[in-house]
Amino acid sequence: MWEVLIIGTVIGGIWALVASGFSLTFGVARIFNFAHGTYFAIAAYLAAALYPTLGYFSIFLAIFAAGIFGLVVNVLIKPIRDREIMVILLTLSVALSVEQILLIIFQDTSISIPPVINGVVEIAGVPVTYTRIIALIIALLCLAALEIFIGKTRLGREINATSQSSEAAMMVGIDVEKVYSSTMLISAILAGIGGVLYAQIYSVNPETAFRILIFAFAVVILGGLGSIKGSIIAAFLIGYVQTFVSIVLGSRWSEVAVIAVIIAILIVRPRGLFGVE
Amino acid sequence: MQTRYGVAMERGVMLAAKEINENGGILGKKIEVVVADSKLKPDVASTELRRLAFDENVDVIIGGFSSGVVIASMDTLAEVEKVWMVACASPTVTEKVKEDYDIYKYVFRVGSTNSSTFPADLVAMLDFLNEKGVKVKKVAVIRDEAKWVADIMDQLRQILEVNGYEVVMEEVVPPTQEDFSTALLEAQSKADVIMPLIAHGKAASLVKQWKDNEIKIPLAGLDLHAVNPDYWDATSGKCDLEIYLAPSASVPAEINEKMKAFIEAYKKEYGVLPEAYSAYGCYDAVYVYKEAVERAAKAGEKNPFDTEVLIKYLESINAENPYPGVRGNIAFTSHHDLVYGDKFIRNYICQWQNGKQVTLYPKATGELIIQ
Repeated sequence: MWEVLIIGTVIGGIWALVASGFSLTFGVARIFNFAHGTYFAIAAYLAAALYPTLGYFSIFLAIFAAGIFGLVVNVLIKPIRDREIMVILLTLSVALSVEQILLIIFQDTSISIPPVINGVVEIAGVPVTYTRIIALIIALLCLAALEIFIGKTRLGREINATSQSSEAAMMVGIDVEKVYSSTMLISAILAGIGGVLYAQIYSVNPETAFRILIFAFAVVILGGLGSIKGSIIAAFLIGYVQTFVSIVLGSRWSEVAVIAVIIAILIVRPRGLFGVE
Repeated sequence: MQTRYGVAMERGVMLAAKEINENGGILGKKIEVVVADSKLKPDVASTELRRLAFDENVDVIIGGFSSGVVIASMDTLAEVEKVWMVACASPTVTEKVKEDYDIYKYVFRVGSTNSSTFPADLVAMLDFLNEKGVKVKKVAVIRDEAKWVADIMDQLRQILEVNGYEVVMEEVVPPTQEDFSTALLEAQSKADVIMPLIAHGKAASLVKQWKDNEIKIPLAGLDLHAVNPDYWDATSGKCDLEIYLAPSASVPAEINEKMKAFIEAYKKEYGVLPEAYSAYGCYDAVYVYKEAVERAAKAGEKNPFDTEVLIKYLESINAENPYPGVRGNIAFTSHHDLVYGDKFIRNYICQWQNGKQVTLYPKATGELIIQ
């Protein structure tokens, strides 16, 4: 039981970072960004590749690069933003291209970043690495910062207003394009942070971007499309489901369970827990 | 060609061809290498086999590390009638030669040992640990969700039990698995050793979490990624003290003079150690081909490059008349498998030690370090 709670909370924190950005993009711009997982992968790969020369500075550079890539994706999306299918196709193409490029450069090997601090501490009899604890703290701090940013800053309030109605936001003088690009930048940075934390605990492969996307889907569908609060709660729930199933039925069933959650929620409660209409 | 295995195969062949050409070629003829990419798809492999045979008119084909692709292409090979020296491990490949020699005689396994050798060698690995004072009886297996591993597991379970070991846990992980925390904790609470059987899974992630979580029991098994020289970097050095089986001794450790020369030549040519096990076997394959052609010429064959003649003289490279390759003596069985054993090519027990790959058995380039 403690194992589920402790291990599930850490992985839930990382899913929350990834899914909150995904949900934010949908909530504000009403787009499904299939390239969202690539921010995660780009940050992880760049940090790992630059680590031997730049040390832990590479982590900051990698997160920055993921943010820049988010802005690039936003520029690509801009002309077709109102055409949902085209956006899906475009972002899917971007994701596939990035996966291929990573495959060509790094081949089909997993990469990882050395943990900032080594060591293990026992919590309720469960050994937990310092890396996991730090990852959870960073994830929670980022989510808290996101909450404060959206609720307290001018740009945050503009993002909130645009998510309710982009037309009304434009009418009151909000620069909606600036909101869209800011949202994409924040989403990409959050996913990038998730990527570098994940690569310190586990490892990352070119295919990880798509796997991450599936988890992001599961989280936002459970939490409700467009609801950041819902995504955060759902991320932890998915983390617990994943860990519980791994312990009880074995690892091979954990992803099946996550996909089963997607299907079940779509049938029983398509709005998710806190979905926006 | 996008995988490390493809790159290593091509480089291994190119290096051998270059060396042979610099020394006068084969019977005075220079080797010309034509590269084909199966893209790991059987249909593409069949098309490429036809192109190599009919358009490029090659004398021999070398490569093919995916058993699935090789098996699916064996009928096409019978049509094009060219010898294919393969690098894959499935027993099915050579069983087919045994079942229908006339159709499948064109296939020779050079690059890898038959995967049916793995279970006995894994038990030998545990015996080796016990001999060295690591008390091992209860085994936790963490394995890929793949057919070839399931086949190994069926044999392994029986052979472990016969030899007094007990499988106390079997965790099957899908290829996308990256979180091994719960499996490792369960293994530590139940077993004396964790035995990974992983080729497609995220082995680097398993190894990293084994070390980061300070799991107190050894990791000793068949982790095919551990053979790769860049595994140390891929795991940020977390593979230190991992014990692993190196199929067909394809590991950059100086187990003999030929191996030493090959590793040095590869590093000089490409600036890196052989990227994957497939480099060793494909390098050997070019020299085995040369040996067979030269034996044919010496025996007075009119066309030593002819496919039927080539098969006859490849078969002459047998346990009585082996060819010394970089991994050991190469000899073929009657159904074109590699003869297996200490005097021939065999799987090696190895350990990662402070960034270096050390062989422990049968030829030791270092001593086991106990965790």
